[in-house]
Order: sequence, then structure tokens, then C-alpha cells
Amino acid sequence: MNNQSINLEIGSNTACYSVPVGPVHPALKEPIRFQFDLDGEQIVGVDIKPGFAHRGIEYMGMRRNLIQTLYLSERICGICSISHPLAFTQAVENAAGIEVPPRAQYIRTVIGELERIHSHLLWAGVGAHELGFDTLLHLVWNVREKSMDLLEQLTGNRVDYAIPIFGGVRRDIPEEKVPLAYEALDHYKRALQQLIDAFLHDKSVELRTRRVGVLTYDQAVALCAAGPTTRASGVKKDVRVDMPYLAYADMDLHAITPEDYGTEPIGDVFDNIIVRLLEVGQAVEIIEFCLENLPEGPLSSIPKVPALLAALKKASGEGIGRHEAPRGECFHYVRLEEGVEEMAVWKVKAPTYSNLMAWVPKFLGDEIADVPIIAASIDPCMCCMDRVHLVDKSGSESVRAKTELVRLSREKTRRICG
Amino acid sequence: MILGTLFKQLFSKPATNPFPVKHMPRSVTAVLQKVAMGQAEIHPPVPTPKDLRGKIGYDRDKCIGCGLCARVCPASVIELYKPEGEEKNKIRMYVARCTFCAQCVDACPVGALWTTENFLLADADRFSENLIVD
Amino acid sequence: MTVTIANAVWQGLVILFGGALLGMIYKGFDRKLAAQMQGRIGPPIRQPFYDVVKLMVKENIVPDHAVGWLYNLMPLLSLAAVGTLLFYIPLGGYGPLLGGYGDLILILYLLAVPSLAMVVGGFAAGSPFATIGAQREMVMMMAYEFPLAITFLSIAWRLSVILPGQPIFSLTTLAANPLWGLVGPMGFIGLLLLFLALLVVTPAELAKIPFDIPEAETEIAGGLMAEYSGRNLAMFYLGDAIKMVAMASLMVALFFPYGLANLFGVAGVWGTLIDVAFFLVKVFVVIFVAVITVRVGFARLKIGQVTRMFWLPVTGVSLLGMLLLTLDRFV
Repeated sequence: MNNQSINLEIGSNTACYSVPVGPVHPALKEPIRFQFDLDGEQIVGVDIKPGFAHRGIEYMGMRRNLIQTLYLSERICGICSISHPLAFTQAVENAAGIEVPPRAQYIRTVIGELERIHSHLLWAGVGAHELGFDTLLHLVWNVREKSMDLLEQLTGNRVDYAIPIFGGVRRDIPEEKVPLAYEALDHYKRALQQLIDAFLHDKSVELRTRRVGVLTYDQAVALCAAGPTTRASGVKKDVRVDMPYLAYADMDLHAITPEDYGTEPIGDVFDNIIVRLLEVGQAVEIIEFCLENLPEGPLSSIPKVPALLAALKKASGEGIGRHEAPRGECFHYVRLEEGVEEMAVWKVKAPTYSNLMAWVPKFLGDEIADVPIIAASIDPCMCCMDRVHLVDKSGSESVRAKTELVRLSREKTRRICG
Repeated sequence: MILGTLFKQLFSKPATNPFPVKHMPRSVTAVLQKVAMGQAEIHPPVPTPKDLRGKIGYDRDKCIGCGLCARVCPASVIELYKPEGEEKNKIRMYVARCTFCAQCVDACPVGALWTTENFLLADADRFSENLIVD
Repeated sequence: MTVTIANAVWQGLVILFGGALLGMIYKGFDRKLAAQMQGRIGPPIRQPFYDVVKLMVKENIVPDHAVGWLYNLMPLLSLAAVGTLLFYIPLGGYGPLLGGYGDLILILYLLAVPSLAMVVGGFAAGSPFATIGAQREMVMMMAYEFPLAITFLSIAWRLSVILPGQPIFSLTTLAANPLWGLVGPMGFIGLLLLFLALLVVTPAELAKIPFDIPEAETEIAGGLMAEYSGRNLAMFYLGDAIKMVAMASLMVALFFPYGLANLFGVAGVWGTLIDVAFFLVKVFVVIFVAVITVRVGFARLKIGQVTRMFWLPVTGVSLLGMLLLTLDRFV
């Protein structure tokens, strides 16, 4: 691995004053604390303190049986609400050796991609709001309503779809609902061109987002950023392409970068918009493929709940599950013990956790007016991410340096692996 | 530019569904009372699909008291209890805690639980009649 | 025009209340029409009245680090300046109330006072967000005052050439002699360019998107207005509403002071009513084009981009307009 060090200077001598942004601020949709050191309007130093949305979900999850924890994992985040169950069910099925029938895998893919559409359109609207362009917010969110309606028709709920279960899915996509899906997909094919015109051909949006919040290719690779954040810098990293799973294995996918739009990737906010809007188009194509090639078969390999509970109780071993959430790679690790209903260990790595450090090079050198749009450009989802609030046993807080963090994480891994 | 869309939208119907009323009334309770007496109408909500995850419906007679629903409920909504003078256990559901995942519906071996389309469950009292199912 | 004190006082009160009322009604229209353009329902037109009443009732908080007397004085100063502004602008087809006592130069200064009051209020608030907002408002004022001054001076100078001997900076004269018919084709184009420049300056003057950077909601949590609440905020809000009416009336007086009553030969009460109604419609059209549509159609620009935009293209356009007006004299 490349040992190149990134110059992440926090704090500087030329700073005139420091401005706190967060945890409660109109620019942020979720609580996080920034401390900016400013020289006039220019940002010369930034410090990030997460931890405001930490709810102890892993602790709760390890005290409930697996089916209950599945619904808890769904509520880690409302926007990426199926990414966590998809990764979690994969992890448990990996550990317990449960197979998933093909029809269930295709249905999971369809719902996952519908979620990607709604999440990226939500992000586009929020980005427009951060720029002060409320009209685009309402336009995009109106377009997004079609996907929410389709999700409600297919799954019974607009958010938190409760579709995956260990061994398969809970609801089918029957024949009579397929025309509704095609109607929504046609709507999106038409709307996508309108959205690309509204966002990418608008002069004031370009003025605000071009060359703002730049994350170079080398920085993205060294900071291990994930998802559209890293793809906007030109790094072709996508879990669906690199380690295919579910129905993605049957498809010929490629990671979307700004080169697909015809421009050289710079890694600024404009490239982020390009990647996310094009991914909506890609999601529409994936859903079409899945609906056309939906295989026949059972919906779940263990449909009866008592049998499922028994199989899970008997299972032992460790398993991992990954899913390309709209924000990047969502990773779950599970260790099961035989004869115990609860999990022994559950570790969740949300995609925003990988993208957090990408904020620092993005902020440095830009103005305070760019803070909201840069903060929004990595599509932060704090509720997914908050896991790293370090409070010493004595109650004192400290910020740990890299070497110490590496040592601590190695110690924890050894503890987890037993 | 976006100007064309703006002018088109200026003269077309807004995308918002004005449920229940278009603008905030002077007194919400007065309006609700009028509606209950049939004197005023409210705008209906956007139509929902038949298998919407709404309030759970329960058939007490079919229930055999196995307790599977309580075992799989993620939010501790279901309380299993033995009513006086009956041999089987029955359940009581506290809808105020419910996440409407309908896992209990899937778990029930005799089909005593099902999802309904009822989602208008806002209430000031967690234990009001509308929010307890038994 | 000699005015008796009593007459002046009662007319002044009518103008003040009328201006405030109109300002809030136009603000209501602004929100309703902006919402319609975005595909929403929007608040009812009487919403700004509810807003002002609610703000007057709320607690007036003065932050610990604020300079108390300045902080509380500035909203009052802003409202007073904007109200005074109304006395020097022709409204509703009538001449300005204090037309004999102040002219366009005074208006130029009075337009700057509310913005300066907001700047001082922002600095006096003692919060980093308010400081940043105040700095931005100062820089933005330096940016848009230039084309504003060029436009006013060009029009006044050109009129002075056509009507020598008359008090050309007086709004009465300017309103009575619209330049469109008095200049040749080159002057016409020059005047059009000046009008366009002034249209771009209007949202900056009123701090509306795309130039609402001093009060950027998502960036600095309300900027200059971040610490204001209660009665102080109500005064700033009212001041903003009246300034919108004042600025639009100024545009109408300089460029479209025509009356309908003369056209149709109606006199008396009906004539007055038609003129007033026509004036209201003209002001509404100016507000629609310069404030509402622009507010909905653009993103917010950064301060560097705003200053560059005003110093280069907008000043350039107004200078070109001035040049064309000058050349028109010799043609």
C-alpha cells in the first residue's frame, strides 16, 4: 500500500478567528462539529468532532435475537435504510451457511437500487438547498416522489422497507405490480435529462461548485474514501463491480466516474453531482434488467419463522457482509455462537466513516461560503457513522494520533477474533 | 435555463396534496370537531396501496397464544398475558411503540395477525383506545 | 412646494402606514408566487402580517457580548431611514411629499443608511456569524453603489441638457419628464442599458438571492440577523419590506412615471384611483421581475463572485449606457 502521507495540517499561524459550525447549524442535516480557523474568508484549518448521533446500536443489537436486530439495523439510517439490512443479512447468512434463492436475490437488488435512486435525488436536493437554490430542491424532491411511491407500492412503506430476512425476502414483486415499476422507470428516464440540464448546465450552480472542495485521485486513494466521493475523483472503486454479489454478479457493470459524462475528473463538488446523477441512470438500467430477468422460485430458503430461529440459534462462526450503499461500502461483521440466540459480536462500518477524513483536504483552501456545499458533497450520514467517540474510563476525552489508533484497533481485532 | 419550468409551474396546480386543509386554521380542534359532525370536509390523503404497513389487525379468537409474535417483535410491542377464565394466552399490542415491520404477521402460524391500511394514528395519549390492540 | 405642518404630518403618516402595508402585501405576494413557481402551495398572502405580529410579541434577547445601545438602536435607525426615504419618492402618481426639501442625491444617501445600520448592528452583536455577515454586507455595498451612482447621475445629467435651468436632481422633475421620449435612438439604447443595470442592482440592494450573501441562511445561520429577535427583528423585517416598495417606486419614478388617467382623459376621483392602481401594478411588475423571479431562478453567489460581477460586467454596462447617452447629445 502506498505510504504517502497526506498533509492534513490542523490549525495554522495565520488564522484570525475561528468559527464553529455545528453540531446544530442550518448547513448540516445531521449533527457534527467543525471548528474552522479562518483568515478572512479563507479556511486555513479544520477540526472535526463526530459522535453526536451515537446511540449504542451495536450494544442494543448484541442483546436481542437476530430477527429483532435485523429491524434495528434497518433503523441505523433512514436514507440508506436497506443497505444495512442487506449487509447484515449477508453477514449472518455467511456465518450460518444459509443460502438465498435467486428470486430473492433479484428482489433485494431491485429494492436496493430503488433506494439508491431516492437517496441520490435526496442528496441533489439537499445540495441545491445548501447553495441557496431552493427551486432545485423542490424540483428534485418532486421527481423523487415517484420512487417513494413505487417503494410504497412494492414494499408497503416509503422508508424502512423491511424486505430482507435471513434466507431471502419477505415480499414478492407480483406480476400486477411490474407495470407500475416500468411506469416509474420511464418517468425517471425522462426526468433524468431534465435534472442534468437543471444541475449541470446551470451557470450559477457551476459557479458555486466547480473547483470547490477538490479531492485529488491520490488523496482519495490514500484516505480510503468510498462510494461516489471517491469515484468523483476518478478512482474506480465499487463493491458491486469489485466483489459482485446478489444480482450484480449476472450483470456487466462498471464504476461510474466523471469520464462517463465526458469530463476529466477533478474531484470537486461538480464531479460529485455528475457521478450521483449518472448513478441514478445506472440504477434505472439495473432495475430494468432485474425485472426482465426475474427468475422463478421460492422467496426464502427458510420461510417458517420457528425454523429460522432454530437455524440461527444453532449457527456458529463469523461472517462478513458488504453492500454498495448510496454513500459507499457498508460493511457488517457478525460472530455467532452455538446455542445462543444473540450475536457474540456485531460491528458495523458505515460508508461515511470512510469518507470522514476526506473532508479535511476538501475544506482547506476554500472559503467559508463553501462550507455547506463541501460538507454535503461527501453525502454525510452521521447516524450511520457515529461510532468513534472516545471517552476514557476516567471520563476524560482525548484525540488519539494515528499510531495509537492503529495499535488500539489491532488490540480490538485480536479481542474480537477471540 | 430553469425559467421555462418556473413559468410553467406558476400556472399549474401545485404538487402538494393539501391534506387535511390547505392553510393552518385558527383552531385545529374546532375544525376536527366540525369534521366529526359532518359539517366540514377535509382533503383526503394520497391513496395508499392495499398492503401498506399500517396498524396491525388482530383476531383474538384465532390466536393460540404461542408467543412467536412477541419473540420476534423488535420493539417489545406485544405483551403476552393470560386473560381470566381462558385457557390460552392472548396478546395485547401497544401501537405507540410499533415500527410496523409486520414481522409478527409473518411469524403467526394461524394467521391471527394482518396489516391494515390505517396510518392516521397520531394521538396525544400513548394508551388511548386507538393505540392498543387486543 | 410649500406645505403646512399639519398637512405634512398627516400625509406623512398616511405614506408611512401605506408604505408598510403595501410592503407587507408585496412581501406576501413574493412568498406566494415564489412558492407557486416552485410547485408548492405557499403561505397565504397575509402571512407577513402574522410574522410581524408574532415577532413583536416574542422576547427581545440582547446577547452578552453585544454592545447594547448600538444593538438596540440600529433597527430603529434602519426603519427610520427607510420610512424617510418614502417621503422623497413620488408615490401613486403624486409628487414626493418633501419634494422641495430633498432630491436624488439625498435618496442615494438614504438608500445606504439601512444597509449601514444592518452592518453596524451585525458588528455590535458580538457573534462570529454576525461579524462575517456584516463584513460581507460592507463589501457588497462597495460593489453595487458604483453602478447605482452611475445610473442616477447619467439620467440626471442627460435631463439637465434637455431642460436647462430646472432642478434636475429633483424627483418631481425626473418623474414629470421620462427620458424615453426625449432622446434619440442611441440614447434609447443607453437608457435601456442603464435600466438593466439598475434591475441587477435592485436584488443586491435588497439583499435577496442571488445576492443575499450577508444573510445566507445555510452558511452563516442568518448572518447579520443571526442574533436579532423579537421587536428588533420585527423592525428590520418591516424595514426590508418598506425598502422593497421604496426601491421599486424609485425605479418606476425614474423610468416609467406615466399615468393612465391622462391617457384616458379621466379626471377627479376616478382619475386618482386609476393612477394609484396603475402605480401599484407597475411596482408589482418591477418587484416580480427584479426580486421574485430572480430569487427563485438562481443559486446564491459567493462574495468574491458578487463583487467581480458588479465591478466588471454591471459597471461596464452602466458605463456603456452613460456613454451612449452622452453621445446621443451630439447626434
